[in-house]
Amino acid sequence: MSDLSKNNNQDTVTSVTPAKLKPWSALKKNGFRVLFIFLLAMCIPFSPNWYKNVFTLDWSRPHYRDLYDIARFQPGFLSLLGGQRNRDVTDSPAGNAEVKKAKKKLKRGNENGTGMPPKKSFLVDYADWGIALLIGLAGGIIWSILDRRRKSYYELYYWIRVVVRYRAGIGIIGFGFTKLFPTQMPYPSLGLLNSNFGDFTAQKIYWLSVGVVPWYQVFGGVVEILAGALLFFRKTTTFGAILLIAALGDITFVNYAYDGGVHVYAFYFVVLGLFLVADDIPKLYNLLILERYTVPFRVYPDLSKPAWKYTRMGLKALTFLIFFGIMTYTEVINFKYDPYKQPATAGVKNLRGNYRVTEFKINGQVIPYNPLDSTRWQEAAFENWTTLTFRVNRPVLIDPSNGGGSPMRDIQRTFEISGVAGGQRAFHYYADTIDKVLYLQDKNVMALRGGAKGAGEASEAEKSDEWISKTAWAHIGNEKEMIDSMAWSTRRDREFAEKPKVTKRNRMVLHYDTKDGSQVVLTGLNEAKDSVYIVLNRYERKYVLPKSTLNAGKY
Amino acid sequence: MTQTHSISAGQWTDNEKLIFRFVFIFFILQALPLSIDLFKLLFGFNWLYISYGNIFDLTRLSAKFIPGTDSLVNWLIVAVIALIGAAFWSRSKHKNANYNELYYWLRVVVRYRLAIGIIGYGFIKFFPMQAPFPSISNLNTNYGDFTNWKLFSMSLGIVPGYESFLGAVEILAGLLLFFRKTATVGAVIILVFTGNVFISNLAYEGGEYVYALYLISFALFVLWFDALRIYNLIALERPTQPNGFKPYFNGTLRPMRTAAKGFIIFFFVFFYGFKTYSGLRHNPYQFHKTKGLPAAAGIYNVSEFRINNKTLPYNPADPIRWKDVVFEKWATISIRSNRPVLIDSLNYERIFTNDQDRNYELAGTGGRHYYAYQLDTTNHSLVLANKNFHYKGEHLKFNYSRPDTATVILKGTNEKGDSLYVVLNRIEKKYPLKMSRRKALKL
Repeated sequence: MSDLSKNNNQDTVTSVTPAKLKPWSALKKNGFRVLFIFLLAMCIPFSPNWYKNVFTLDWSRPHYRDLYDIARFQPGFLSLLGGQRNRDVTDSPAGNAEVKKAKKKLKRGNENGTGMPPKKSFLVDYADWGIALLIGLAGGIIWSILDRRRKSYYELYYWIRVVVRYRAGIGIIGFGFTKLFPTQMPYPSLGLLNSNFGDFTAQKIYWLSVGVVPWYQVFGGVVEILAGALLFFRKTTTFGAILLIAALGDITFVNYAYDGGVHVYAFYFVVLGLFLVADDIPKLYNLLILERYTVPFRVYPDLSKPAWKYTRMGLKALTFLIFFGIMTYTEVINFKYDPYKQPATAGVKNLRGNYRVTEFKINGQVIPYNPLDSTRWQEAAFENWTTLTFRVNRPVLIDPSNGGGSPMRDIQRTFEISGVAGGQRAFHYYADTIDKVLYLQDKNVMALRGGAKGAGEASEAEKSDEWISKTAWAHIGNEKEMIDSMAWSTRRDREFAEKPKVTKRNRMVLHYDTKDGSQVVLTGLNEAKDSVYIVLNRYERKYVLPKSTLNAGKY
Repeated sequence: MTQTHSISAGQWTDNEKLIFRFVFIFFILQALPLSIDLFKLLFGFNWLYISYGNIFDLTRLSAKFIPGTDSLVNWLIVAVIALIGAAFWSRSKHKNANYNELYYWLRVVVRYRLAIGIIGYGFIKFFPMQAPFPSISNLNTNYGDFTNWKLFSMSLGIVPGYESFLGAVEILAGLLLFFRKTATVGAVIILVFTGNVFISNLAYEGGEYVYALYLISFALFVLWFDALRIYNLIALERPTQPNGFKPYFNGTLRPMRTAAKGFIIFFFVFFYGFKTYSGLRHNPYQFHKTKGLPAAAGIYNVSEFRINNKTLPYNPADPIRWKDVVFEKWATISIRSNRPVLIDSLNYERIFTNDQDRNYELAGTGGRHYYAYQLDTTNHSLVLANKNFHYKGEHLKFNYSRPDTATVILKGTNEKGDSLYVVLNRIEKKYPLKMSRRKALKL
């Protein structure tokens, strides 16, 4: 068993001089030219925003999302050409009126960055890849004309492999770190734990099913990062690519099955991985299936000159520093103080927990508990962060997104309500703890559109700034600085400096009265401007689901 | 075995031989169905009508000396026996056997055992039964009222297409293992796939991690044969010699081999595949076969509740009053109330033939009590029996009336003998899972 490589002393691959290299067939040359340009088009970022992010990045106060945005891009030619997102293009003709109307609603949801339109035809999602292929074909033709005499492209093949290896490696590592420090799929909040399994969308069920087992999420992160790390080295590239194909192939399938929405990006890695293993497949076939003596062959350019050597080492070191070093630091900070799918501000301490609604008055009239009643709150919960959730037996339009993105403002972090039906409501609050007032806003921006009150409230948005008085703001403080100062970043500063888009939301202003939180009395105006009087009684609820042993955020 | 011979044999060092003797005995013992369950299983078969459940149980057998669930202690026992066996072997006259040939045959046994094991699970996923679409009761239970394992199973159950895909991967890997030249590819697929299953079992507290580890150990053994070759070729990029040992069958061995191989593939692939398919059509195993009260399936609000002639009003904190009731399509009723539930948490795969043993719907979940019922449509009576083994012998007896299609009125006694009068009104409940994913949903 020990003499695996009998002819160790024969010419090794690297010492073959270019003169001896076998010329390529015309088909192979043309195919390579097209493939080369296609892969470049797939692996080079073309979006202005990507460059804007890179060049305005403040390395002294980085945020994990700064790096994630470097790592995460895919071809987006349609958005370059028409200024439109690729998803919008697919909204054109066809389809019945009802579907169209629904889509319009969903598109409006995008203003907030939370809406995600439903999928359409299978191929349309890949339109950008088609354009990349067209570019490859056009470029290939021009190249073939200009470079007719060339016999082969061994060196360029090496270099395009380098590009693809690093593109795939960096991309998957960006993905992996949000799992390694599990923030991508949060552990379900109280409001989610108290919702029926059948009241979630498919996508929500998938996200939650990973969220309940943070250590499994960590494992997923390890696999992705390992696959990425293996791609950074020649000798381990094939093993990394196999792992990448297996993991991301599964994720592609999962996204189709559950409507997860990232099927295209996941499949992108599968394609890159397939390219990387492609030329080892014939060798393995020859060795394992045909059981023949196999001599590997690959040309490596001579990088032994100092200039090359140090450039190469420098670039590699830089990649490692950014995507392992700084990435780890920013992810740890994000996990500890600012998990990006959960609101980061700590909620009022003595309010947190599950509540039964023992008394409910609206405009002075008592409404007794009845599971079928459509105005009374059924149950309520104050989360660890600044969210009040409650359930009312009245339908709302569901926020169909996956609660992703990277908004800094807590109100835009919607994981706790996206994809949840069953009458569940989630309101973000600013707490004036001196005058004991909660200023609540609906986190579901779709809710208002479907609600009975419709468009009648258009004017409210304009005077939006005055619903919280100056004194109250002074008591509330500045949201930007409510998280641990370790997690402050330039990105956060910039986002808070921008004026928030005025989005119409349901609002409530409720005074709260409590001693220790065991009983809370809420009085004030609800979202329909009716005066309410609500008595909440806290109760201990034991869940069958084991508690998370790996909790993100500091509350 | 003298009828096979090698073309070019690798050289074995003494240490390699020593290790091999242990490995040989270890894997042979692991692969044989040396299980205390074997006889129970074989006697339980109806040989004239073998069900897919029987075959599944057969594929899942591994060395087992201790009753109960799979345990690594069994491995330890096998390892000790293998150590002793290896010691004897080293002193016996057989110590200089043809190790290349033994290695070949050991790999055959391991390959086939692994293939059968992985295909056993493959088909019950490919025809999605292992994780069925959640029952109405499960859909109407709070997310926090499930164990991790149950959530995992239900989350898979909502996407039968994906479940079939996973099953197809397992079957493919199994088929590749039936052939010497493709076995390594099959083993790699299993390592990636079952590696994930193993970690999932640990994370979701499933009961199958020992068995998953068992399959992984087999896959590692199969891969080991080619691992160094692959490393040499791919990582070191050096010229590499292929496997030099080729089995050679002559005389009577040849037809015997063909027949044995043919039988195994026929039985565990075609026959078992057909059986699981018809199982999916006629008798999936997770839920009951017995039909329930006709046209009653759904969730019901409890609009009136009288106990010993005393009306209990709606009250979310009430310890006795029912909150809602589910009639499944099959003969199960589940009741949601504040009465605590001791969880019945079977979390490894069993295929039960009898309805009373099928407890998937209540396994790993609280929030509701689950009752199987006997229906007498002439006398309009229902006799409920709590399905949870913690509440064995708990019976509720009712006479029912249905003034209209959406109402059921129950009159009778609960498990303590208190008289009950309950009015149930069906709720027209909509589930996002069952609605078009292309429209905005208002729920």
